[in-house]
Amino acid sequence: MEIILTVNKQSRKVEVRPAETLLDLLRRLGYKSVKYGCGEGACGACTVIMDGRPVNSCLILAVTVDGREVTTVEDLGTIQKPHLLQSAFVESGAVQCGFCTPGMIMAAKALLDRNPSPSEDEIKEALDGNLCRCTGYVQIIEAVRLAARRMKAEKKKN
Amino acid sequence: MIPFNLVRAESLEEALDLLDRQPPDVKIIAGGTDLLVELRSLSPREKGPGIVLDITPIDELKGIEDNGSTITIGPLTTHREIAASPIIREHAPLLSTACSTIGATQHRNIATIGGNVINGSPAADSVPALIVLDAEAVFKSKNGERVSPLKEIFVKPYRTDIKEDEILTALRFERLPEGARSSFIKLGRRNALAISRMNIAVIIVLEGNTIVEARISPGSATPLPDRIKAAEKILIGNEPSEELFRRAGKEVSGEMINRSGIRWSTPYKQPVIAALTTRALREAVEKR
Repeated sequence: MEIILTVNKQSRKVEVRPAETLLDLLRRLGYKSVKYGCGEGACGACTVIMDGRPVNSCLILAVTVDGREVTTVEDLGTIQKPHLLQSAFVESGAVQCGFCTPGMIMAAKALLDRNPSPSEDEIKEALDGNLCRCTGYVQIIEAVRLAARRMKAEKKKN
Repeated sequence: MIPFNLVRAESLEEALDLLDRQPPDVKIIAGGTDLLVELRSLSPREKGPGIVLDITPIDELKGIEDNGSTITIGPLTTHREIAASPIIREHAPLLSTACSTIGATQHRNIATIGGNVINGSPAADSVPALIVLDAEAVFKSKNGERVSPLKEIFVKPYRTDIKEDEILTALRFERLPEGARSSFIKLGRRNALAISRMNIAVIIVLEGNTIVEARISPGSATPLPDRIKAAEKILIGNEPSEELFRRAGKEVSGEMINRSGIRWSTPYKQPVIAALTTRALREAVEKR
């Protein structure tokens, strides 16, 4: 079945199998930041932003993404010029093995896009679908707060 | 994942036409958060569905409408939309709370209330809230429309009486009356991403300081969702008090054992459902 979707602002026409998930499709297209963790929506490692909302790409059939817009962490920054969320994660020690990080960052990005100054509870709620087995979450929450502060400061400057 | 054929229905008409031809083993997919997990758990040797019918493009199955007395929710409305809806927050706040406790943010963004109902899990969070709202389910098929009290569609855990040629097209209920207070409490092993160990939905209507109407429905406590009329009776005609709420809680736990029997989980569930009921009633009275 043929679908047209937008991935990271780029429109793509692709052939998909009926049983293919959005996660399968994104990885097949080369967006390897999107991780297969549990395959049942319990870990959040496959989180991407679809039409402005964070979703588990393992729980979505690729066919149903026809006409929609998907953003992965590849759209955020590069090693030379990381996104403020990415640098905040590094500086706060919010990354250890790194497997959960792309999903965490996308869930955090979806939050900050809607709510630039979240409270600690709002951050916890936004990340409650993402598991991390290394860091213990404290640094991750700290990273989101740091990124929020810097994004606000940057906005003021402009 | 096990291979299957997929048909995308662009309209309700198209979906009902397909179901009317009675192809074997059709599974309807809405949000997919339950179905895809189920399909992925099948081994390649097991038999999957013949056809997965995707109804997500059908706009008339989405959204929340309020005509001033009756609220109608399209089955494809997501839990996030219900939790955030000003209509639901004002006229059925316990349903907003119930939907906000389901899964995690990522699930609430795609999972639908129709899926939650038709999946038929005894632990479904939206169901006890809909049951105390005395909701009706509307089904459509090529042969017409069928309206049923929601409570009556549940046949056994994970099984509803939806016919093979039917689609759930609406859930509807009356706005809560003036003076009504409601509460929904979910108890999971953790706050996020947990399936309810138990939950409880209550509505009470006060006139002055007297309870004139009470509706109580526990989730994950009885094999089929239902109101616990014996506990409701204890409340009606009385003034709210801690002692009264304790008695109602005890009645709910007694009724749970009557209906579910003594199970391995009973020593835990018996006192906990009583306490949850008491707490929900207290919370309902203290609100507003």
